[in-house]
Amino acid sequence: MDSKSTSYETAINMSETESTKQKSSSGAPIIATTKTISHNQKGGWRRGLSIFDFILRLCALATTLAAATAMGTTEETLPLFTQFFQFQASYDDLPAFSYFVVANAIASAYVVLSLPFSIVCIVRPHLVGVKLLLLILDTVMVAFTTAAAAAAAAIVYLAENGNSTTQWVAICQQFGDFCQRVSGAVVASFIAAFIFIILVVFSAVTLRRA
Amino acid sequence: MMKAVSVESGEASKAKGHGVNRGLSVFDLVLRIVAIVGTLAGAVAMGTAEQTLPFATQLVQFSAQYDDFDSFKLFVIVNAIVCAYLALTLPFSIFHIMRSRAGKSRILLIFLDAIMLVLLTSGASAAAAIVYLAHTGNTSANWFSVCQQYTDFCQRSAGSLIGSFGAMVCLVLLIIFSAVAISRR
Repeated sequence: MDSKSTSYETAINMSETESTKQKSSSGAPIIATTKTISHNQKGGWRRGLSIFDFILRLCALATTLAAATAMGTTEETLPLFTQFFQFQASYDDLPAFSYFVVANAIASAYVVLSLPFSIVCIVRPHLVGVKLLLLILDTVMVAFTTAAAAAAAAIVYLAENGNSTTQWVAICQQFGDFCQRVSGAVVASFIAAFIFIILVVFSAVTLRRA
Repeated sequence: MMKAVSVESGEASKAKGHGVNRGLSVFDLVLRIVAIVGTLAGAVAMGTAEQTLPFATQLVQFSAQYDDFDSFKLFVIVNAIVCAYLALTLPFSIFHIMRSRAGKSRILLIFLDAIMLVLLTSGASAAAAIVYLAHTGNTSANWFSVCQQYTDFCQRSAGSLIGSFGAMVCLVLLIIFSAVAISRR
């Protein structure tokens, strides 16, 4: 309804606005009018993708927040202690885990801040600058979250298997709960990274001019 | 006369737009070549990191190779994969220089670049976590730092990380430039 009235309006004002069109074609007004109508019809397709983009952002917010809190609240205290092992483990004992919590917290803050921009993209499907900015920051966030997830995964893998060359002992045999929780947080962070990739591809697809 | 002027200005702006797109595509090609060099250097440097300590007991000889660390094995494999991928997409990049209106192939390239970015970043940061642990050790887990003994090995593996992280930055820039080129058609 709204799009139909705007298409009629642009059909009437064709001769005045033709010079201000950025991609000016070889201008017979009839050709330009059909292009305008198809442009508004394709706006619906872009709008659907933008709505799906917003929903995916909510999912990314949920996963990064879950990853950060799951890692940040793990703490395990063994009821017994020996002479050689420390009997308490928490996330800030390992710097890779602290970096994981910080990176996922930053990623979830970014997603919260990008939600209004995403809503703006739903309402006006032809804004290029906002979409480009979101795409750039989404790419940076992909790198951030995968770096955090992979570093934590490497440490967890080491804690589960140990290493014979360097005489590093596998501590997961003692702190089983801790390792399980941390592995779950790592998986959530990888899922968030893939959601960010899908967001990047959506932004790229909707950036294309018809 | 007004129509003629507007058509001329339209054509001039279209030519300028093509010029910027062509510049972006050339820079894209350059970044790909730099990333190929970076990943290749990283993989080779890590793959040849090996050190045998001069003393040995009767039971065990103290030697370290990249094979002994699973994260380093992952690092070498991932760098090789990304290097091969970048080499295979060089013709696509050249094709984009010649035909700057290609939209669908650019989107496919952005998607594949993003997946390779995830692979490269995870390999590089997993290796970085192990290198950091080897340098500083960890008192809570009773893992002691081995770099005081295997200094050469530690230096080599840390240096190979630089090439890989540089290639990662190149991939991020590649994705951004492809997106800018798409939006400027």
